[in-house]
Amino acid sequence: MVEAFRPQNLIEALYILSENECTIIAGGTDLMVQRARGFALKPDFVFPLLFIEHLSELKQIYNNSNEIHIGACVILTDIMQNEIIPEIFKEMIGKMASPPTRNMATIGGNLCNASPAGDTLPYLYAVNAKAILQNANGVRTVPIEEFITGVKKTCLQKNEILTDIIIPDKKFDVNIYKRLGQRKGMSLTKVSLLGLADISKNRIRDIRIALGSIAPTIVRSSDIERKMINKSLDEIKQISYEISNQYDKLIKPIDDARSTAKYRKKVSLNLIKHFLENL
Amino acid sequence: MKENISKSILRVDSRKKINGEAKYISDWKFDNVLYAKTIRSTVAKAKILSITLPEIPAGYYIVDKNEVPGINRMQTVVSDHPVFAENDVQYIGQPILLVVGPDREIIYSIVAKIEIQYKEQEALFTLEEAEKKSTVFTDYHYRKGEPETVFQQSGQLIEDEFTTGYQEHVYLEPQGIAAEFKEDTLFVYGSMQCPFYVKNALLDTMDLPEDKIRVVQTITGGAFGGKEEFPSLTACHVAIAAHKTRHPIMMIYDRSEDILCSTKRHPSKIRYKVAFDKNNQVLALDVDVLLNAGAYNGLSPAVLQRAIFAAGGVYNIPHINVRGRNFMTNAVPSGAYRGFGAPQTIFGIEMLFYNIAVKLGVDPLEYKMRHLLKKNDPTSTGGQIREEVKLPEIIKKVIEKSDYYNKLKTNKKYQGIGISLFLHGCGFTGKGESVINGKITLEKNKDIVTLKVSSVEMGQGAETALRKIVAQTLKIPIENVIYGEVDTGLVPDSGPTVASRTTMIVGGLLRETAMEMKTRWNETEQFEISKRYEHPKYLHWDDDNFSGDAYPVYSWGANVAEVEIDPVSYEITIKNIEAVYDVGVPIDNRALKGQMQGGIAQGIGWATIEVMESENGKLKQSNLTDYKVPTSMDIPEIHCSFVLNPYEFGPFGAKCAGELPSVGVPPAVAEAVANALNKTINHLPITPEKLMEIDNGN
Ligand SMILES: Cc1cc2nc3c(=O)[nH]c(=O)nc-3n(C[C@H](O)[C@H](O)[C@H](O)COP(=O)(O)OP(=O)(O)OC[C@H]3O[C@@H](n4cnc5c(N)ncnc54)[C@H](O)[C@@H]3O)c2cc1C
Repeated sequence: MVEAFRPQNLIEALYILSENECTIIAGGTDLMVQRARGFALKPDFVFPLLFIEHLSELKQIYNNSNEIHIGACVILTDIMQNEIIPEIFKEMIGKMASPPTRNMATIGGNLCNASPAGDTLPYLYAVNAKAILQNANGVRTVPIEEFITGVKKTCLQKNEILTDIIIPDKKFDVNIYKRLGQRKGMSLTKVSLLGLADISKNRIRDIRIALGSIAPTIVRSSDIERKMINKSLDEIKQISYEISNQYDKLIKPIDDARSTAKYRKKVSLNLIKHFLENL
Repeated sequence: MKENISKSILRVDSRKKINGEAKYISDWKFDNVLYAKTIRSTVAKAKILSITLPEIPAGYYIVDKNEVPGINRMQTVVSDHPVFAENDVQYIGQPILLVVGPDREIIYSIVAKIEIQYKEQEALFTLEEAEKKSTVFTDYHYRKGEPETVFQQSGQLIEDEFTTGYQEHVYLEPQGIAAEFKEDTLFVYGSMQCPFYVKNALLDTMDLPEDKIRVVQTITGGAFGGKEEFPSLTACHVAIAAHKTRHPIMMIYDRSEDILCSTKRHPSKIRYKVAFDKNNQVLALDVDVLLNAGAYNGLSPAVLQRAIFAAGGVYNIPHINVRGRNFMTNAVPSGAYRGFGAPQTIFGIEMLFYNIAVKLGVDPLEYKMRHLLKKNDPTSTGGQIREEVKLPEIIKKVIEKSDYYNKLKTNKKYQGIGISLFLHGCGFTGKGESVINGKITLEKNKDIVTLKVSSVEMGQGAETALRKIVAQTLKIPIENVIYGEVDTGLVPDSGPTVASRTTMIVGGLLRETAMEMKTRWNETEQFEISKRYEHPKYLHWDDDNFSGDAYPVYSWGANVAEVEIDPVSYEITIKNIEAVYDVGVPIDNRALKGQMQGGIAQGIGWATIEVMESENGKLKQSNLTDYKVPTSMDIPEIHCSFVLNPYEFGPFGAKCAGELPSVGVPPAVAEAVANALNKTINHLPITPEKLMEIDNGN
């Protein structure tokens, strides 16, 4: 029995996938941990592996009419070192895992793993990123919030590969990222907030708030954001408590081994207020 | 020119550990080896009704209680832990049997098909429940002065209570052990601190004559107490399997199995009652120490002793009444961990003094200094402080270097500074050292000298320190001093590598022996000298009443910690640690600073990051994704210096050092957090989750 495929190019990979049910493996930093069985034992793979991390089609970063394309198999280190990537996204990635893990982990893997604690996700939600999915027959483009359908769930079909992630080629005036873990390095996020805003003449022109690890998926509300547009910074300060409260019902955290629901809720609301009061 | 013992040299073991040459037990190869996998209880307390085995293929074996040639109990202070479960189980993770065979995949498929039927029984999980039901393993008691009378007469009383959590060692190398018979001699190889503990346990369990058991320590990737008593259990497992199968057996734990079933630091609760004199000086102290020992008592009585003997901290309290109890719960057994009970009680006493000072509205450090022990003062067990107590000099240095008083004044809200004062008794508690009666041998062969000890290098630098002591005493190059292979068949029993005793006690013996060898150097080309430890004659200890000198001498220290707390997230950032120690004379400054930094990092972890909770007997943090220890991002620059205070019986004046940093730093951090928030901190670890509640609560 074939246990693994190592295609030469993307077309071949898609072809293999159309003929076989496979487990796609990119950097393997999620997969190998999830499927580990014990000391000196083979990991628990049911389907043949399809290696894609080496495919050059999936390793490009380029911009194209106000958009930046990031190949699904670009490793985190390469994103951090690329000039065209917005600084705040690099900062966020720089706080993930550790250098050795960032040298293996891909952005596509982070997306497809669809963990509520996935650290590239708040940014991708905040900037309305799009996912490009391909199968042997064609391509489709899916907005990020439709791509991720739940905890560890995506809309990927068995025969599809995520090939690209598209983000706007845009910088914001205000970029705030706060990420809390059990310790300061090498830990999974227990609460995170990304706040982005454009401000002119002391008024909000654009504002985005995305929260990680506090609900089954990233929390972002265009409704609440819209209410803040064109408000002056002073006005925002005055209603910051009110606004943070509007997020209350969207934030549905859990108690787990790493933190408590109570803490996650309270600190998320604190972080929102703090962001709004310091624009 | 006279060589300075403290001057740093390259660690003798660093090269092979960095370039990968070092062979840990999991790197060893044996011909015809069989691997062992442990089947463990999945319930916290139950009778075992039945064990249903699948068909076992040829070449595979089940090893359980019925295969134990000798006694089915692991030998330690209290030999109560069954090597393999008999009719009942008392904690999740308790070993029941081994599946042994040549192919790990097949072993796992056998494991998956084994069915165990339990009749579950009501279990006990917390110290609170245990106290209510009085499941006391050990109940110790001692007093000094007339505490009852003082409490009866005293008007103003203060009561306080402190609790601390579990701590997992997270040595980089998980537990690993192997056994084989060569003819009729049993060899056990593994990662361990105490080869003779392992040997003694095997004597009980294997029922073999003394000269038919050899225990060989393999390169050990960290231990911190976690490889003190625990390897005795795994050694019995592989030895029994080797006995049954007549094959070499290897058993290497992965991290989750290691966390599930290996010992941890005892969770504790400590209650204080304090009576004051008319100047608000502490006159009497009543201390009630409760430790969660887990399902079996094992080594816990020894831990409890050190905990209660440290209950008075560095203070001279005229009347003191101390009770200490180990409680049984249906949890994985607690055991040795750097500090051995002292971190719990030192945290308690330091925070107690801080809380009292805050209540009285006086400067905490000044208040503490009003009570300091001095030379010739009685210890809390009625022994005597014989060395000069250099705490005043240590404190002066630490507050100058940290700018303590200035920062105390100018710190803004959410910035805090704290100071801890502490001591650690050197070597074994009470009669311990006389009982062990450690023996060492120095062997001369032309210009090469081999030192033979059972003390192990486990990352702490023992090999460098002991070779350096011998080399400098004999005035020969360190390359000419060989550290004999730690094999119980080749070295005398110089005792276990625990209790910060190796440099002071074993190093002291080596120094004495090397001095004798030096005078006889030219006698012949080849000779050896052996020596046994003798406890200084002036020390007295009554083990029945816990009175006298609990330790021959103490090491001392003071730490200042600075913290900042983020008011939005309650995240704690430790900004600075200033540490000053009296460890007699450092044997190698850099190696010792490394020990201090590592010990401080572990202390900071226990105090702020390392959360391990048990829910119905099951650990919630069961892997390194969920159980976090500090990284270099969490640890500030640590400034560390030493005040010299040579001890006459220590080699070159050295006292104990290894545990001291872990004992000392937690209360400094806790005080700094208390200071930053203007709240009391009575529990470790102090997590952001807890701080949020404290900040909103009171
Ligand atoms: C020590 C350590 C620390 C970590 N720290 C963090 C952290 O701080 N923050 C964080 O968010 N994550 C962290 N992770 C998780 C992990 O590194 C990231 O999620 C990483 O981005 C996953 O990428 P990968 O290429 O390794 O994915 P893989 O493990 O290869 O794959 C993950 C999943 O995605 C699927 N997949 C991957 N690529 C594609 C594709 N192109 N098309 C379709 N399906 C695909 C796979 O089938 C699998 O189900 C950590 C992991 C480790 C081991």
